[in-house]
Amino acid sequence: MITEMERLKGELKALNAEYGKIKDVPAEKRGEFGRELNVRKQEILGKMAELESEVLNAEVESLDVTAPMGVNEGISELLTADNGSKHPLMVEMDRIIEIYRSMGFEAVESRQLDDEFHMFDSLNFEKGHPARDGYDTFRTEEGLIPPAHTSTMQYRVLKANRHKLEKGEAIATVVPGRVFRNEDVDATHEHTFYQCEGVYVSETCTLGDMLGILREFFEKYYGQKLDIRTQPGYFPFTEPSLEFLIEKPKTLGGKKGDYLEMLGCGMIHPNVLKIAGIDPEKYHGFAWGGGVDRLVMLKYGLDDVRNFEAGRLSFLREF
Amino acid sequence: MLIALNWLKKYVDLSGVGTDELIRLIGARLVEVEGVVDQRKKYENIFVVKVVSAEKIPDTHLTLCKIDDAGVAKKISRGEDRLIQVMCGAPNVRAGMLAVWIAPGAVVPASVNEDAPFVIGTRKMLGKYESHGMLAGADELDFGNEHKTIAEISPDDAKAGMPFGQLFGLEDIILEIENKSLTHRPDTFGIIGFAREVAGILGQKFETPEWLMDFGEKDFATENVDLKIKLADGDICPRYTALIMEGKGDKKGRYLGEIETLLARSGMRPVSPLVDMTNYLMLLTGQPLHAFDYDKLVAVGGRGGPEIIVRLAKQGEELELLDGKMIKLVSSDIVITSSDRPIALAGAMGGKNTEIDENTRKIIVESATFSLYNLRKTQMVHGIFSEAITRFTKGQPAGQTLPVVKEFAGLLAGDMRSLGLVDEWVDGQKNDVVKVAVEQVNGLLGTEYSSELVMGTLERVGFEVAGGDFLENGAGAGPSLRAAAMSSSHPSLRIAKSPKSSSPATSLAVTVPYWRTDIRIPEDIIEEVGRINGYDNILSRVPLHGTAAANELFVLKARVREVLAGAGANELLTYSFIHGDLMRKVGQDVKNSYRVVNSISPDLQYVRQQIVPSLLVKAAENLKDGFGEFGVFEMNQVFRRDLGMDEEDVPILGNNLAFVYAARERKSCFYRAKKYLMYLARRLGVELRLEQVMGKGLPQYEAFYEPRRSAKVMVGDEWVGVIGEVKKSVAHELKLPDGTAMFEVGMNTLIGKIDSLEKSFKTSQYPSVERDITVVAKSGVSYEKVEGRIAKLLGDQELMYKITPTAIYQAENSDEQKVSFHLEFADKQKTLANEEIQRIMGLLEQ
Repeated sequence: MITEMERLKGELKALNAEYGKIKDVPAEKRGEFGRELNVRKQEILGKMAELESEVLNAEVESLDVTAPMGVNEGISELLTADNGSKHPLMVEMDRIIEIYRSMGFEAVESRQLDDEFHMFDSLNFEKGHPARDGYDTFRTEEGLIPPAHTSTMQYRVLKANRHKLEKGEAIATVVPGRVFRNEDVDATHEHTFYQCEGVYVSETCTLGDMLGILREFFEKYYGQKLDIRTQPGYFPFTEPSLEFLIEKPKTLGGKKGDYLEMLGCGMIHPNVLKIAGIDPEKYHGFAWGGGVDRLVMLKYGLDDVRNFEAGRLSFLREF
Repeated sequence: MLIALNWLKKYVDLSGVGTDELIRLIGARLVEVEGVVDQRKKYENIFVVKVVSAEKIPDTHLTLCKIDDAGVAKKISRGEDRLIQVMCGAPNVRAGMLAVWIAPGAVVPASVNEDAPFVIGTRKMLGKYESHGMLAGADELDFGNEHKTIAEISPDDAKAGMPFGQLFGLEDIILEIENKSLTHRPDTFGIIGFAREVAGILGQKFETPEWLMDFGEKDFATENVDLKIKLADGDICPRYTALIMEGKGDKKGRYLGEIETLLARSGMRPVSPLVDMTNYLMLLTGQPLHAFDYDKLVAVGGRGGPEIIVRLAKQGEELELLDGKMIKLVSSDIVITSSDRPIALAGAMGGKNTEIDENTRKIIVESATFSLYNLRKTQMVHGIFSEAITRFTKGQPAGQTLPVVKEFAGLLAGDMRSLGLVDEWVDGQKNDVVKVAVEQVNGLLGTEYSSELVMGTLERVGFEVAGGDFLENGAGAGPSLRAAAMSSSHPSLRIAKSPKSSSPATSLAVTVPYWRTDIRIPEDIIEEVGRINGYDNILSRVPLHGTAAANELFVLKARVREVLAGAGANELLTYSFIHGDLMRKVGQDVKNSYRVVNSISPDLQYVRQQIVPSLLVKAAENLKDGFGEFGVFEMNQVFRRDLGMDEEDVPILGNNLAFVYAARERKSCFYRAKKYLMYLARRLGVELRLEQVMGKGLPQYEAFYEPRRSAKVMVGDEWVGVIGEVKKSVAHELKLPDGTAMFEVGMNTLIGKIDSLEKSFKTSQYPSVERDITVVAKSGVSYEKVEGRIAKLLGDQELMYKITPTAIYQAENSDEQKVSFHLEFADKQKTLANEEIQRIMGLLEQ
């Protein structure tokens, strides 16, 4: 092994010397010459690193995976329960799912890697429309999209549940999940965050029903009666589109006249229903989506969203 | 976008509503008001004054002035003539002019938002002249950059002693509007369109100014105009209207005008009268205008012109913009050319080669519409975010180009002469008619609006509505309903209003005004009705429903969370994207990861294949932070390219649970990690088995496990994950202690196996016996075999038993291991006698 390493070192030295010859190479061929040397150098360095790790890993003894403890190590114990913690975002997410479940909503998790069709096309975004820019999406080489909103699941929810409509049942599903936006991180902005989407479709539902369901959710979540408000909004996949606000709950130190913007919502655009194979003449529905991180920050009085994904035990063990 | 309320008031009556209530209503029914800037005190203690005398001081640039403020300024020292003395350095100061005077103690308006606002005082100049306050230039008054001269006020607008804030409605309140939710509403990017909405909200019928509805070309000689227009493609430029005017150059006027102050209040800098007028009309109507120097345009075009050709740019074509920047055009840019030579980047900025200046005699004013899709790309490629392109990318309606440019001619009629107008419109005006049933409105909103209310709402904001019952059966009338969005050519076809009848209309035919490019389907109309009347006035109710079935994945995750946190471990969330270097350090192949091409930083470039590498990084950080021993876990999604696509043609996703156990003072954490895995399995009711990894038996995405100290995690015959210690080389790279251990398992397989473990633990009714025993075994014989042998022996004796390992000991240089157990056993039939116990122990010890 050692001799192999020495051989590689020698090879590297020889190669480094070759770089000196570059001045003898005609100018137009220098680029190619340099690239070739670099490729060979990377190869040698790679082999050296591999060899080094082989040497490092060589002395390792195997262990008996069927044993409950190591030789001479004593009994393996769990850590004390005191140290344990659940992530606050996940705790709230579980709670949100449970409240919606009690209101008749099934839950399905949002995908973290999706495509243009689900993220935009199926949601009635016109091709090349400036509205697509507002989402600051990431993209992979293949054109896949880490979704910027949980609405990326609407098409799937509608398609998977449309059979219920024929039976006279409603589609009622929430979609919690992780979403991504290409933006710089600071105390109040994260490129990675959580949303919860809601979709409801039936023959008779109205915008008034939507406001009722959202109010009920937030009243259950905060355990008190709440005043609600709306603002007109714009989303290509709902018509009408609204922003939904609640009176800041007393538990969060809210005073009369303080309102919090909680989510965007609206009546599902007929084109969205049509694309998913639901007859918009016969059925209509509503959908909403809002951030979860802010709910949690408000609840615990946190001031820096970056804590959530920092993985620091000093923070997490507080929960 | 900034909206000056005093400008808005010129188009809508705001007298019946307080400012706070107005802002609330706009927020609830049109658009979010992000901020309110109260400028009512901005011009306090600033007055229009008359310069009575102006005496040049020799050998200086200064002029000693006496001004008349009509006695309005308080606490100021005046001469016997009641006049105030003030020194002025501007060359245009002269006796008889009306100027703007900032009294001592007042703040310079341009500095009100600065950290230290500049307060004007009284001071002695040149050692002997008292100067009280100052005569202000347009820059100090916050109306632009002009600072050589002082502002002059026309005697038609004011007289001496008038508080300056009362001029042109300068005591104003400015609303800061959140543009984003108006992406689909080009009409609201003009004061008139905004006012129309506010009127509708306040219950007033809005009267659109007549000139905006005047589509005729009379008064304009369109015949003998020496200009041709060619539109290469109606999709990229549907309409181009050009007005030719003749004047005396674009020189600054003598007086400060209202338009300059309106531009300033809307966030734009006044430049020159012609440019200001184009901007004024843009802010008023949403229609951007651009003025070319006619003679320069002709010169650029060469022989055969003048002809304006609008076409897509050729890749690499060059153009010098007004701001002096030379840009290379791309093929999605739209260019305005003079006989095919570029003179402007359409929608974004004019070219240097046709810029108007003080010597300009003839101008061509462009009023056009362009494809918002192309302009959006132009915006991104060239980084131009002007007020004009912001409006163009909302899709300004083609219908307004002619009325707006005619208004331009009218407003400048005193200074310039219109020579003619050329208008090229590829398609011509079409006004959509959308039919909607009143029942459909109420059915979607959950309201009980009458047809009168619905009609009235729409008419207030410029829709023409005819009532009738032409949709049989009201709502849900079948395909005809949705096909009802049809076109009629403007303006001849209008659906006549049906004569008033006793029975209310059940359906409405709504003619969409030309400025509402966003209205196409019945839902668009329903939105208008709901929004303008206020969604907050809609009664909310909750449809009946029961409890829904639970999602198995979420149930599993919640249980895992409960069990592991209850056992002292900490749940983490880490990013779904990782650095390529981390993948290389742990031995993964970056080519097997989806790569994000527009990542914020290299730290977030690859979609992760496994969660453990992220947890290892966090473990190292927490050890460094002083935590000596801990277990961390995360449940999240993972993706690998080699998994391919699912039936929806999106990457197959894995739902993984990952766990890392790290300890600064421990040689090996394998059995700690194993303890957690087996404890979790037991609590979930899943039977797990570990299988030694043979040779290099792990795929590359799990290359960081030391194969000699790892095991495959099996559920039945299914391989669900890996548990093991990290390779020494990886521990080294990540600055982790050797022996750090971890596992990662796929949760999808676990879902179906939860609670499948048979709980058939029976107890004997006879007393059980407890004994300790130590068995000696050759090292190399697995623990499983040793324990298995004991279990078999006890089982063969028809005993009920429980085996608890208590120690595994191996002396140095010995090849034997001593494995100690604590045993509990009982007979199913009887109490075990002493002799019987002796016999069993004897068997075990052999």
